[in-house]
Amino acid sequence: MSEKLETYCGLPEEVVFCKRCVMSNQRPSSFPEFKHTKDRKAPTLHIDEEGICDACRHAEQKELIDWEARERELVELCDRYRKTDGSYDCLVPGSGGKDSAYQAHVLKYKYGMHPLTCTWPPILYTDYGYKNFTNWIEVGGFDNISFKPNGRVQKLLTRLSIQNLLHPFQTFILGQKNLGPKIAAKWGIELIFYGENEAEYGNPLADNTSSLRDKSYYTMEHLDEMYLGGVSIEELRSKFGVDMNDLMIYLPPPVEEIERSNIEVHYLGYYLKWTPQESYYYAVEHTGFKARPFRTEGTYSKYNSIDDKIDDLHYYTTFMKFGLGRATYDSSQEVRNKHLTREEAVALVHRFDGEKPQRYIAEVMEHIGMTLEEFDELCDKARSPHLWVRDGGEWKLRHRVENL
Amino acid sequence: MNVRIIPRLDIKGPNLVKGIHLEGLRVLGKPEVYARHYYEHGADELVYMDVVASLYGRNSLLDIIERTSKEIFIPLTVGGGLRSLDDIRTALRAGADKVSLNTAAIADPNLVREAAKRFGSSTILVSIEAIRQPDGTYEAHTDNGRESTGLDAYEWALRAAELGAGELMVTSIDREGTGEGFDLELTRRIAQSVPIPVIACGGAGSPEHVREVVVDGRADAVSMASILHYGCLGVCDEDTFAVEGNVEYLSGRRAGFAKITPSSIEDVKRHLSENGVPCRYVPKEAAHA
Amino acid sequence: MPERGAKVAIVDYGMGNLFSVKHACSHVGLDAEITADRDAVLAADAVILPGVGAFGDAMVTLRDLGMDTALREVAQRGTPLFGICLGLQLLMEVSHEFGEHEGLGLVPGEVVHLGAPRDGDRVLKVPQVGWNALMREPRADGSDAWAGTWFEGLADGTAMYFVHSFVVSPAGAADVLARTRYGDVTFCSALRYRNVFACQCHPERSGPDGLRVYSDFAAALAPRESL
Repeated sequence: MSEKLETYCGLPEEVVFCKRCVMSNQRPSSFPEFKHTKDRKAPTLHIDEEGICDACRHAEQKELIDWEARERELVELCDRYRKTDGSYDCLVPGSGGKDSAYQAHVLKYKYGMHPLTCTWPPILYTDYGYKNFTNWIEVGGFDNISFKPNGRVQKLLTRLSIQNLLHPFQTFILGQKNLGPKIAAKWGIELIFYGENEAEYGNPLADNTSSLRDKSYYTMEHLDEMYLGGVSIEELRSKFGVDMNDLMIYLPPPVEEIERSNIEVHYLGYYLKWTPQESYYYAVEHTGFKARPFRTEGTYSKYNSIDDKIDDLHYYTTFMKFGLGRATYDSSQEVRNKHLTREEAVALVHRFDGEKPQRYIAEVMEHIGMTLEEFDELCDKARSPHLWVRDGGEWKLRHRVENL
Repeated sequence: MNVRIIPRLDIKGPNLVKGIHLEGLRVLGKPEVYARHYYEHGADELVYMDVVASLYGRNSLLDIIERTSKEIFIPLTVGGGLRSLDDIRTALRAGADKVSLNTAAIADPNLVREAAKRFGSSTILVSIEAIRQPDGTYEAHTDNGRESTGLDAYEWALRAAELGAGELMVTSIDREGTGEGFDLELTRRIAQSVPIPVIACGGAGSPEHVREVVVDGRADAVSMASILHYGCLGVCDEDTFAVEGNVEYLSGRRAGFAKITPSSIEDVKRHLSENGVPCRYVPKEAAHA
Repeated sequence: MPERGAKVAIVDYGMGNLFSVKHACSHVGLDAEITADRDAVLAADAVILPGVGAFGDAMVTLRDLGMDTALREVAQRGTPLFGICLGLQLLMEVSHEFGEHEGLGLVPGEVVHLGAPRDGDRVLKVPQVGWNALMREPRADGSDAWAGTWFEGLADGTAMYFVHSFVVSPAGAADVLARTRYGDVTFCSALRYRNVFACQCHPERSGPDGLRVYSDFAAALAPRESL
């Protein structure tokens, strides 16, 4: 039977799972959020002829890298930028989660840099997230600038991004990505360190051979090309009465500003071998990080991305849109890092993927001014026919990852 | 009364792993190697926990139980993912002396009663993994610290003893792997209220913590992992790395864990003896030929 | 004629970790078989009666298997009989565990509860679970009570692993080989009566010292051949 099924978001028609991890080719690659509209066709995860995805190939390559040489490059980079006059020599954007905890700490206490940390806070802090954040600053010991955006506008944009794109996290992604360069420019800091390179998760391999982040991610050329919450800047102003000033914080800095200020962006993951789980241990040991005492809904993990109440919703929407829930994301990464076998990952996905978040959803809905029914409707509308089928009154995925 | 010192080995597949708050799968080597080392250095018993069995239904300890019971002649307790009388029987036939139940016991407390009747109370341990709540009570958790149960740990302890459990192993998830010391309040409250032996687990960072949990926490036995594993890393880790498991930590040869004083069983027992806590301790100098 | 090694029967009446007993035997070179067959028990050169659990249930099973009569015959013949833990208790005439139960009656004496031991202000747990010292019983004539027994190779005060709530009270003081102190309670932890040797502790779980007991057991069974 070759019934042609409609595919939403320009996703590949055929669903293919990686033979090593449990990710599928439906996973969208990272791409500039401000170009994100309803009809965009995002590039998705590439799986090669042997059935292995780019993220797994990247993991393979990681084993072949001369990490000692890379570390020497880091030391050299640090030596070049280090300031001894008391000013900040680098910026580490982060939230106090295990990854930024590790980054900031290792840069300051091992490599002798003087980082300023900057934080785009979660849309809605969880208790543990907030505690980890304060411990990062107080136990880890860093100066920090946290930017809290206009709450009304953030709620509006969050609601719009859910309504138009089923993408609750957009404001966070945009804010977080764009804050770093702006703070760096304003404070005269010429070096920004991010953590892992996007290729860890399967963004085009080509991006990864250099350490510098692709400038198109965070520069803005023409305002007319910009969309927030799936709505053009123009419409946001005319229809929703939002002032340009309120939107700037979500937009990248102008290209000229970046080029003028000589800012360089580097991934620590290029210089230091990245094992997220070891970051957990490091963060517990050095910055007072604590995992949550309960499992995150939709997955088995207790410490990955636990500071935003909207997080759970985010992964629920990826499950709707791409058939990929949080357990798939978490376990694929752990398979690549050899903590789990593929069979274990499959079992975890079957057990937890797509679990409907209950813990915070009422609060989130109230915060953004949406009803649960509306959210459920939007979810159902987002289920691409090529991924979902209605069976016995219930939605079922056409394709689930299985053991080889 | 001699306090028992019981190394606890968390096992995933072929590897000994060690987490913090029961989270994380850092590989430290081969469980058989560590087990033998502990047997030869004064361990009173051993505990093997399959840390992921209840999570994804994989029961992989049978091999190592069989091998261990042929070469190591001290009591072996086995836990993790044991869900039925059959599972228990299989573990005992493989050579375990005792089994530890948690997730399955909370799901069906009757299992404890049945198992105690069938295999003998002394064979059945109930393991309670607890997290301190903001109001000062402790809640029992299952699935290796992942699922809350709404059960008060203390109430559950009393009930488990009534159902016929031979011993209780009480773990503070908050302290586990942190080296910050045992949760004395949790231990004491349970130890003083049940007529059966209580094994304290979770948080040992120094031999003094062990003394504390016996004297102040009223524990009858003490189980520990991080403090001992990190204490014999140099001796027990091997160069042949596993097919499975992430060995970054081992290959990086990091120093250990900041808050833990890596110790040997000898260090712990010596400290206990020197401070009036009886245990089976033969000082090296005085050891018989 | 080829020399036949001693065959040991480990009585299987469904209770206890028989495998650890068997492994200990193998470790010291003893050919041991776990069996629930009374004929195999009768044919063996030595018999081990292990066990963990309730006295009453054990006796019921032993009777059902016809093991009770087999064991009495074994004892009568002078075949070495090694009782461990519950196995020790079953040898006695009567037990007071959850009522009154008749035992095998191979050793005069009874089985009673450990009591309510205390260590200073601390109430000790029952069952006793853990390592405790075997104290050699002094003999009126000053002789070594352990000489010629399977404890011969051990130092006085050697610790072994115990897990029990009941203890034996042998009628004959001369039968007591060792006592052990748990808090303020002292009890008989090993005895010998004719060809029966039994201990409350578990030598197969007591490390190298426990294995020593097994190897002395094996040595006692070895045919007296010149090498």
